[in-house]
Amino acid sequence: MAEFEPKVVAFVCNWCTYAGADLTGTSRIKYASNVKIIRFPCTGRIDFMLLLKSFANGADGIIVSGCHPNDCHYTSGNFHAKRRWIMFKELMDFMGIDMNRITFSWVSAAEGARWAEVVNSTVDRIRKLGPYVSYKQMVNTTVEEEVINE
Amino acid sequence: MARIGVFVCHCGENISATVDCGKVAETVGKLKHVAFSTDYKYMCSDPGQTLIKDAIKEHKLTGIVVSACSPRMHEPTFRKAAAEAGLNPFLCEMANLREHCSWVHEKNEMTTDKAIDLVRILIEKVKINSALQPIRVPVTKTALVVGGGIAGIQSALDIANTGHKVILVERSPSIGGHMSQLSETFPTLDCSQCILTPRMVEVAQHPNITLYTYAEVESLDGFIGNFTVKIRKKAKSIYEKDCTGCGLCTTKCPQKKIPNEFEEGLGFRPAIYVPFPQAVPNKPVIDREHCTYYLKGKCKVCEIVCPTKAIRFDQPDEVIEVKIGAIVIATGFDIKRSNFFPEYGFGKYKDVIDGLQFERLASASGPTSGAILRPSDGQVPKNIVFVACAGSRDPAKGIAYCSKICCMYTAKHAMLYKHKVHEGKAHVFYMDIRSAGKNYDEFVRRAIEEDYVNYIRGRVSTIYERDGKLIVKGVDTLLGAQPVEIVADMVVLATAGVANPGAEELAQKLHVSYDSHKFFAEAHPKLKPVETNTAGIFLAGACQNPKDIPDSVSQASGAAVKVAALFSQSELTREPLVAYVNRTSPPMYSTCVGCFLCQSVCPYQAIEHEDFKTRDGKIIKTVAKINEGLCQGCGTCVALCRSKSIDLHGYSNNQVYTEVVALLNDY
Amino acid sequence: MNSIVSRAKELLENKSVQVIVGFEAGPTGKARPAFVTYPSKTDILIFDERCVQNLAVYLTKKEVKQFGKIGIVATLPIMRSIMMLISEQQVFAENIEILGVSTEGKYLDIADIQVMQGYIEKCDLSNPSNDQETLAMLNKMSMQEKFDYWQNELSTCIKCYACRQACPMCYCTRCAVECNQPQWIPVQANTHGNMEWHILRAMHLAGRCISCGECGRACPVNIPCHLLTMQLADQAHKYFNVYAGTSEKMSSVLSTYEPNDKESFIL
Repeated sequence: MAEFEPKVVAFVCNWCTYAGADLTGTSRIKYASNVKIIRFPCTGRIDFMLLLKSFANGADGIIVSGCHPNDCHYTSGNFHAKRRWIMFKELMDFMGIDMNRITFSWVSAAEGARWAEVVNSTVDRIRKLGPYVSYKQMVNTTVEEEVINE
Repeated sequence: MARIGVFVCHCGENISATVDCGKVAETVGKLKHVAFSTDYKYMCSDPGQTLIKDAIKEHKLTGIVVSACSPRMHEPTFRKAAAEAGLNPFLCEMANLREHCSWVHEKNEMTTDKAIDLVRILIEKVKINSALQPIRVPVTKTALVVGGGIAGIQSALDIANTGHKVILVERSPSIGGHMSQLSETFPTLDCSQCILTPRMVEVAQHPNITLYTYAEVESLDGFIGNFTVKIRKKAKSIYEKDCTGCGLCTTKCPQKKIPNEFEEGLGFRPAIYVPFPQAVPNKPVIDREHCTYYLKGKCKVCEIVCPTKAIRFDQPDEVIEVKIGAIVIATGFDIKRSNFFPEYGFGKYKDVIDGLQFERLASASGPTSGAILRPSDGQVPKNIVFVACAGSRDPAKGIAYCSKICCMYTAKHAMLYKHKVHEGKAHVFYMDIRSAGKNYDEFVRRAIEEDYVNYIRGRVSTIYERDGKLIVKGVDTLLGAQPVEIVADMVVLATAGVANPGAEELAQKLHVSYDSHKFFAEAHPKLKPVETNTAGIFLAGACQNPKDIPDSVSQASGAAVKVAALFSQSELTREPLVAYVNRTSPPMYSTCVGCFLCQSVCPYQAIEHEDFKTRDGKIIKTVAKINEGLCQGCGTCVALCRSKSIDLHGYSNNQVYTEVVALLNDY
Repeated sequence: MNSIVSRAKELLENKSVQVIVGFEAGPTGKARPAFVTYPSKTDILIFDERCVQNLAVYLTKKEVKQFGKIGIVATLPIMRSIMMLISEQQVFAENIEILGVSTEGKYLDIADIQVMQGYIEKCDLSNPSNDQETLAMLNKMSMQEKFDYWQNELSTCIKCYACRQACPMCYCTRCAVECNQPQWIPVQANTHGNMEWHILRAMHLAGRCISCGECGRACPVNIPCHLLTMQLADQAHKYFNVYAGTSEKMSSVLSTYEPNDKESFIL
């Protein structure tokens, strides 16, 4: 059987991590191709519902990354995001949703190598955790219920 | 029906070396709503762009995805090309196949699959993109300069000379700032007043400059190009039009023992006063805190002696409202005063003074007419010690930064002293000599080599008085940390440059950010050193961090150019990627429920209240509204809004949701 | 509870308020909300241990607002709700009179919002003790146990939104679940969609929940959904040292920040 290739979606801000990932490219640093980036203006824009929707649509892992504290292009979007993630993580932990599958990080526009590390370590970790079976099961059972009901 | 075009770029071999561009184009070409798909060697080249433009026209495309390098690189290029072909530029998206794919992955099927996914995400997104129009806002071509020191003066003159109106606000009774207090300036030792006063006069006489001294900014509303500022003109208690500036009142005022701010407390002034002889405007103000009439209800000597009857005891403060388009903040700096240095006896011993006090002693117009005399007994000090870095570069005291100007002015002080007291001995305690600047190090070398100033590399631990002398205990680190003790007649502390009192309050009024030391913060430390984070507000001089005169003047001119560039347009156009609050039909008006939590997350004060009223003016509902001029499009409010009433152009809820679904599901 | 009755009567008689929102005994003996508009009817008002509902939910309802100025019988959770509603500009302090009831059930003379704030500040604002025990028990479970527990609980949710209707903080006129562009929350009731709804609700109440437990009491299928918001109330206090509804000026946890907010999971 082929090795499990996790599906990882990355939500990143345009000014720091997106630019940092550009630098990873310009520096020709290689990383796992499982991660696909969706670009946002700011981490402050990232709705927690998108993380849930990622799992619901089959993501095995998620990366959320933006500017380091005090470096936000919009001065405070990342600080608000930080509070949002603190609350979100506590709620997920409380409900038994696997927070090991989500990497939160700050990667600046100058940290090309760091972005590769963040991606690789996340993919390695998710690979070890395997597919997010329990969440997928919940979603799939739901789909089956509906099929039966119909 | 969406008709999407996909253009896959090889970027020479930069993309095609690891991504099978042909396969990408072919695969996505089969997707629903994709009307055209191709690959090409160099999309950004002239023929490449022509290919895109032709395809847009020929296939009547409603959106395009250029799959090439990072949008941070070529998004403007391709959006412009789209616009030239008649497609709204915001219906062009870029998939980042180079930086985020071909350059970071090996050549294999997974890499090509990822490239396909990256393109697919944006195909789905662009299908629901909206055509957006740039936001246009008018520009009021009047600038406000806050602070009338050398930076403010320079900025005001430069802006005024481009033909635009300037309002210069200064909180003290005269413009001139700290520069007017200086004796001579490094590295040329030319007299400060001599080079400054012509500029001050020019400000007063310039037809484009309106000068408000003894005035402060009360509040600011609006946004770039369209600010409204309220200025409080404090009551000067004189009618300026009638006052001839004869100065009779100032000589007759019975209150004569008020510490003179301009002389840094080394002299006195009356209650009705002109801060210094060359003041602009050269008309007195009454200091109501010290005037006998305001304190005790009688006196009015000035009113009696005034030949033109210009005194107005009942004059109120006046608040005026002005429309302006841009602001230059040039409020300058201050230095650390006594009680910050108990170990040096500053404030306790009269002969321990700070750098500005020394400037006044050395100034020909100062309290001693330029003679270096001890404040305690008026004797000429035979042994003088200068302490550089008094407070600066001292994290234990909370000031980790270098005040930048002290090394140079300390060398200047020592030199001025030696020029005036030939037989005297000058010692300088320093940490490092930071004399980077044109002719700066030569200047310091001159002090050491030609004027025989004794430079000791080490810090002073304590200063105390013994038998009428000041004992300065320090260490010479170049002699193996040997303790040094100097018996001095006078000590000059180069105290740290700090933010001006009131800087924080002003920053909050103007909605600009400031650092932990209350210095105003630039938008970018390297590439936007003159801009603040608030569009249309610029910085000049030492309000940003301690700066010397040439640096302040350069930055002031830089700020002036930024203002002039802004004023060169009749209206401003901005990218329309801003947030908006939805509107529905009455009686709901909007799904916004008016909790205004968005207002508290907005870094730009871009969220306003909008009232919907009945015909007789009763408020039915108050909802949020985004000021497009102020919004920068971060979208923090969008993610916070519980009822999903706010959305962001370019990154709408629907768009980002669609991207997630497209990315994770098979096609 | 003569003081509540007499105060209510006085307020209605001198026209300081046009309606009193309080409790009355219902036909089955349970307490139910009462809306009294005539001084002569104030005798029906009661207050005892049966009176647990969070009446603040009515302050934002247009059917109640139309009367004019409102007098409301307010226990600690109700006072905190009122504070939140004022801070979020849904209720104006000048439009309400408080008929306070202390945590011991005694009548409190609350002259204005400052007095109410003073009282709130003196009270224990943590979650009710029985809920604290349940929370502690749940927090001890393994990840899988927790996930199973909540899947099991939430599988019975019928998406009636009683939890939302009962909550004074859920005053939006259009809830995010009614948003279909995009459809954030599936319309139908199923375990996965139910979980997304309850996460959404809890996140929207993060730092805003005042621990009244009304959502859990309102649930017709007995889902302990109040534990979700209470857990976050706990965490908001742990991380940011704030309790919701303690000042009319406060900004909620998610709409403000401190540069030195601490967390340990962001790389």
